[in-house]
Formats: sequence, structure tokens, C-alpha cells
Amino acid sequence: MLNRKVKILAISLCLMGILVSLTGLCVASSIVRYSSDWPPSIDPAVGSEVESTTAQVNLFDPLIFPDTEGNFLPHVAKSWDVSSDGLAYTFYLRPGVKFHNGSELTAEDVKCSMDRLLTIGEGVAYLWLGNIKETEVIDKYTVAFNMEKPFGPFISTLPSFFIVNKGLIMENIKPGIYGEMGDYGKEYVSTNDVGSGPYMIKDFRRAEYLLMEKNPDYFLDISSAPDEFQMIGSTEPVLIKTLMAKQELEMTNRWLSPETLESLAKIEGVEIARWRSNSEDYITMNIRKPPLDDIHVRRALAWAFDYDVAVKLVPGSVQARGPVPLTVPGSDSNGFQYYRNLERAKLELKQSKYYGHFDEYPMVCQWNDSPSQEKDAMLLMANAAEIGLTVNVVETTWSLICSDSASIETTPHFHIVGDEARYPEAGALLQARYHSVTAGTWENTEWLLDPVFDEMIEDAFATIDKEERFAKYREASRYIVDLCPSIFLLETPECRAYQAAYMDWPAAKGEVIQGFKYDNCIRFIKLNP
Amino acid sequence: MSPLTKEDKLLTKRKSLMTSFLSMVRLKMKDRRIIFIVKRLFHSVFVLWGLSVLIFVMSRIAPGDPARMALGTRAPEEVVERLRIAMHYNEPIYTQYFYWFKSVLRGNFGVSLVTQHPVLEDISQVFPATLELAIFAFIFMIVIGITIGVLSARYNNTWVDNLGRLASYFGIVTPPFVFATIGMLIFCYLLNVLPAMGRLSPGMIYPPKITSLITIDALIQGNFKVFIDALKHLILPAVSLGLLGMAEEARITRASVYNNMKKDYIAAAESYGIPVRAIMFRDLLKPSLIAVISILGLEFGALIANAFLVELIFNWPGFARYGMNAMLQKDLNAISGVVLILGIIFVFSNIIVDLIVDFLDPRIHLIKERNE
Repeated sequence: MLNRKVKILAISLCLMGILVSLTGLCVASSIVRYSSDWPPSIDPAVGSEVESTTAQVNLFDPLIFPDTEGNFLPHVAKSWDVSSDGLAYTFYLRPGVKFHNGSELTAEDVKCSMDRLLTIGEGVAYLWLGNIKETEVIDKYTVAFNMEKPFGPFISTLPSFFIVNKGLIMENIKPGIYGEMGDYGKEYVSTNDVGSGPYMIKDFRRAEYLLMEKNPDYFLDISSAPDEFQMIGSTEPVLIKTLMAKQELEMTNRWLSPETLESLAKIEGVEIARWRSNSEDYITMNIRKPPLDDIHVRRALAWAFDYDVAVKLVPGSVQARGPVPLTVPGSDSNGFQYYRNLERAKLELKQSKYYGHFDEYPMVCQWNDSPSQEKDAMLLMANAAEIGLTVNVVETTWSLICSDSASIETTPHFHIVGDEARYPEAGALLQARYHSVTAGTWENTEWLLDPVFDEMIEDAFATIDKEERFAKYREASRYIVDLCPSIFLLETPECRAYQAAYMDWPAAKGEVIQGFKYDNCIRFIKLNP
Repeated sequence: MSPLTKEDKLLTKRKSLMTSFLSMVRLKMKDRRIIFIVKRLFHSVFVLWGLSVLIFVMSRIAPGDPARMALGTRAPEEVVERLRIAMHYNEPIYTQYFYWFKSVLRGNFGVSLVTQHPVLEDISQVFPATLELAIFAFIFMIVIGITIGVLSARYNNTWVDNLGRLASYFGIVTPPFVFATIGMLIFCYLLNVLPAMGRLSPGMIYPPKITSLITIDALIQGNFKVFIDALKHLILPAVSLGLLGMAEEARITRASVYNNMKKDYIAAAESYGIPVRAIMFRDLLKPSLIAVISILGLEFGALIANAFLVELIFNWPGFARYGMNAMLQKDLNAISGVVLILGIIFVFSNIIVDLIVDFLDPRIHLIKERNE
């Protein structure tokens, strides 16, 4: 009997212990937690998509820093000169900037960072490949980029260039494919901190989260910034909703569906920040495949498409006006804009060489990625049917889109894609979307291959004067609209849920730095107690 | 002491003969088991080799250029070509296989094109998380499944049986991710008694690695705070993952126990007045569990392979999620490594199950041998 009582007592104690331990979790007092796609690449020479860049803007420093007005401010570089012929850019570095391991950031590190980036050739290297001839160390705090040819947008691209610690890279080189540089430290940098930014790696569990802590020796005053920043590798709506409700997540990434955002907005203290981004959605048309090789068919589709319905499907979006969103400097705000007009669509079709034979040319539209893209594809199918064209909608995978885009034959008639300007100039998007150099990639499935357009873009890039360059971008935009290789769908907003009750986030108030993901720069955020 | 009679001597002789015969049989059984293990291991080599060929060919002929996928669409062609050469992608598929198989035999699965780390190193980081999850799901599956099954059979056609059957139907028709989602909403969101994600709460420090299973490592080092925290993180994912298996085990156990209850030896035991509880645990459970244990090997492998959705929902840094990401990103080396390791788990868990079944009922093996 006694034995039984002892057993009951022991079990009760165990249960009480478990119950006591179930109450309360220790939460860091000043932390911003962000749900992100996974895994991010923290190596600035490798990762360039949103989540990688989010990690990089907090771990590394650029030479110059963008502001919300589209200007560029001194950062690691305290000043810079441009030669009159536009072939040399000289940067004067701020002394005393320290990497996270305590060593000083010098011109050698800047040279190593650019050399490494161009040798590896991944990530954002395409911005400078073919433009930079060499990086020259003039003295400890002076570095020059000598150009192959004048490249007008160079300064605009530089906030995407992050400086890595040369010493650590060279100490951690392993055998690899880059000749005498081995793997150029790729394996090491993929999980180790080689930056000088406002945050440094505290704990990086590759399959789970990336936790950063504030850099106590940062060269700028970041005393009011949150102590820690954690990127959590999940975009699962249920988990995000649960964490937001428990105040264990401060901000979400941009890939949530409108339905999820709507449910998050109902949580007390959570608000949805919306701002116009540099992104645009397109329906690309493979102009080398019949019947889309006929401009009248392409224009007919552009006239037939119901833009109003598409806008309603994506809250906060507006119909695009041409190939570049109006938020991007150098875009054409006076460009021609199609609207739904079935009569005009049918008139265009009558001028087509395929008129009367459209049933012989069924077309395929591929989509991938998001429910809104599926809806756009279905809308295209319905609208095309209204004017007698057959479009079959096919869902596909990202890897198939990439591989199918490699040749004209395998590229389908239509793709639904979203793209954004990598730096705040219209030329960034125009080149990515339509220049022959990017043909065969997912970004350019129109197969324009137009030497006239290529020449227009190269001429604009070679123009140093900003206003003159922007005028050339607008001319190129109009040229594209006239050729109608795409249906310009929507300027898509960036929508993110955040804890408005205790988080002061400049981007949510409209103070957005466009184009580089600096809206995820945590040092600008303030957490209220 | 009276001298031994002739009959006594004969009896003693018979006894000693019987003893030596039994020891011979035991030895034969032991030898037979060793031969069985060797045979199965020998077969496993061919199974795994076949699997390696299959997965290698399937991953290589799938559309998409892995080098281009790894380096991004904007990487210059010469850089992509350099990677293709380094990974032998430009060579015939049998040459690629030869290079790959050679390095696998040395324990090198190559470098992940996504993480830039050796695949084996990646797997060694994520596998313990899934193993720990699968072990807890397995324990839940066995303990709860068998208990429900035995109780249902014992109290056949009563409310206990009906409740047990309802629970097992519920487990079978509810996909793990649905239970995970609902469980998270109830226990993490509404009641707020369980953590929603990860293996440990923020601020908790991972115990130094011994087994890489946090609960075990924490217990070994006497760190009960971490143990309790890790346990809390395990409850929902493990229950979600083990629910389907639990339901299957419950149904099989119930059927098996119920059938055996009708056997003559049980009736005989009951007629001798042996208590029902003793019959259940001493005479009924062991033969009834053979059917259950036969499928446990497959169940354990399936727990690891099917953990993807549960890992995704609970942001569990595991092996299944790693494998799925590798497939989505056409990370060839990682795909091959993951599938081969899964194959090894399936093969060895089945060998272990066969040995357990053989131990529980040697007749099964004898029948197999006779048939062969």
C-alpha cells in the first residue's frame, strides 16, 4: 500500500515539474525575428536573391549607402571621384572601420571582394562583369575601379557590392575550381562571418535559423537598434500566424498570400506594411514561335487581357505602364498603356497572317510560384478564348522553367513571371528582360534578340550623365511597348506583416530604400518596450 | 541412499541425450541466425547498389542543368562550364556514375551545390534532428498503438473497443500535416502550452554533442532544463508524425490479439484459472506482436522519409526537409546522398525486424527455409 502511495506521489511530482516547466519561455529583450525562405546564402559573391541580400545588408558594409530619395551617401567610402571619361572611379575609405574579427577594413579588402566576386561569377557579379577591367589599390585607404568602357549606372549598382575580410578568406581557401584560388573561400564564407556590418553572426544553424547580434564596435551609432536579429527559415502560414500571435515573430517576408496577410492583419498589434516596389509581373511571349511571331497576335492578346480583374487579384497592385515600374528612376510615366478592348483585339487579329488558321496553333502558358500567377494564367486562357485563340495552362517547376528557357524551341509560348530592378535605374530591368545577353534565361523568354534594342541599352549604359541616360531608357521602353513582346501586367506591391504595436519600422511608414533590400536593414528599426 | 535402479539409469541417460540434443539445436539456431544475417547483408549490398544506379540515373536524366541551377541564371557560361567539368557533367552518364560511385565508396558524397558544404557533413547536421523525431514518433506509435490494440481486443465490442477503433480510424484518415496544423493552433496558439517551432527555445544553449540527440545529450549531462525544453519541442511533431503508424499498429494488434484469443491454448489457460491479465501479457502478447513487428521496420523508415511536411510546419531542421529542398533545387549530390542513406535505413531496419520476428517465433524461419 505504502509502495503504491509513493508511486502516486512520484508521478504527481513529475507531472507538476512538467507543468511548471511548461510556463514561460525565455525571450531575448530586444530581438527582431523575421520569417524567410531558406536557405539564404550569406556569401556576397554567391547569394543575390531577397533572403540572401537580407542577411548580407546586415552582416556586411557597402562602399556607399542608398537613401530613400534615390541618392547615394558616403558609408565605408567617405568620398569618391569619377574621371571625366567615366573610366575610373576612385573611392577614399574611412579609416578605423573594423571587421567583426577586429582587423581593419582597407583598400586591399575592397580589391579582394571585387576580384573574388568577378572570379566566382555568381550572384550579382553580372552587374560588373565586362564593365570593370581591374580594381587598383592606390594606398591603404584609396581604391580605384578601372572600367573597360564607360558604365553610367556604376554608382547606382554599388550598394549591392559588399566588402569581405581578405585575411579570413585567404586563410580558409580549400581546393576548388578557381585555379590557384581554390574554392576562393566559398565553403568557409557560406557559414562564417567575414563582414564588418552592423550585425555579426551569433549562431547559424544552417537548416533552422541565422541569429545575429549587434556589432559593439560598429563605426556608426547603432545604440538604439535591436540587440539581435534572427532569420527563421520558414514561410509556413500556420507557423507564421502562431508566432505572430505569440509575439515571437516581428516581421514576415514578402511571399505570403493575400489570404494569409488578411488573417495576420486580424491579430492584435499586427499591421500590414504595403509599399510600391521595383517589381512588375509580366506575361512573356515567345516571339519566335507561331502565331506569336506575328505582332498583330501579340497586340491582340494585349488588348484582350482584362487588367482590371488582374489588379483585383493582387491587393495594392496597379496596372503596369510599360516594361518598367514607375517607381524605378528612368521609367516612362507617359508611355502607352493597353486596356481591355475586345473590338480592337479582333481588328488586330484580322491583320494577322494566321487569321483563319488559329485553331492550328494551340499555345501553352506555363506558371509556377504563386496562386496569383495561376489566376493570371487562367485569365489569359479565358481572354484568349474570347477572341478565338487557344491557350492551355500548365503548372511547372522552377527548375523546368529554367531549363525550358534555354532554347527557343523549349520555351513555351507564355510564361507568367515577376521581375524587379536590381538597382534603381530602368536600365537594370530593360537589360535583364530584353537584351540579347540574357536571352535563354528565365528573365528573358521573349527571345527578342533585337540588335537595335541592344544598341539602345548599351548606348544608355555608356552615358555618364544621369538625365541623358534616363531619357535613353525611356526611349528604349517605348521601343519595347511598340514591339509588344510581353503583356505588362502589374506593378506589384511589397506586402509584409509586422508588429506595429512595438516596432518602429521606417519602411512601413513609407521611408523605403528601393531596389537593394535595405528595407530589411535592422539597424534602422526601433523596438518599443 | 539407495542405489540407482536400471530404470533410473535409463532415465538419466535419456535426460542427458535430450540435453545434448537441445544444445545442438540451440547451436544450430545460433549458426542459422549468423548465416541469415550474412545472407541478408550480402543481398543488401546488391539492393543498395541497384538503388544507387537507379537514383543516379533518375537524378541525371531529369530535366534541368544542375550546374546552371547551382550558379544562377546570370552566371557567365564559362563559370557554369567550369563547374560542369569539375562535376563531370559533360561526360557520359556511366563515366559520371563511375566517378560518383568511387567517391561514395570512400564515404564522399560530393559537395552540395546549394550549401557549398560536403553532403555528408550536411547530412550529419540534419540527420540527428530527424532521427530524434522519428524515435519519439516511433515510441509513441508503439506504446499507444499496441495499448489501444490490446485494450480493444480485450474489451471486444464494448465502448472501449469502439473508442479504440474510432481513435485508429481518426489516425488513419488524418494526414500528419493536418494534425500538425490543428495541433499547433490548439496547443501553441490557443492554449500556448507548447512551443511552435525548432528543437530548442531561443536562449537555450545546445548541449555539447555526444549523440547529437538533444534529449539524450541533455540527460547524459544532467541538463534537465534543456531536456524538458527539447521534450516540449518534440511532443507535437512526434505525435503528428507517429499518428498514422499508431493507428495502423492499433488495428493490426487488435486483429492479431483477437484472433489468438480464440486459440485452444488460451481457452486451456483460462480453464486452469490463470488470471486474464497474466494470460494477456504472458501467453497472448508475444505471438500477437509478430504481425505488428513485421511492419515496424518499414514504418521506421517511412517515418524518416515522410517527415518532410511535419518538419516544414514546425521548422524542424531535419533530414527530410533537406532532402526535399535538394530535390526542388536539383542538388544532385545531395539527392543521391539522401536517397542512399534512406535506403540503408530501410534495409537495416528490415534486417533487425526479421531478427526480432525470428527470435519471437523461430517457426516462421523454419517454414521459409523449408520452402527454399
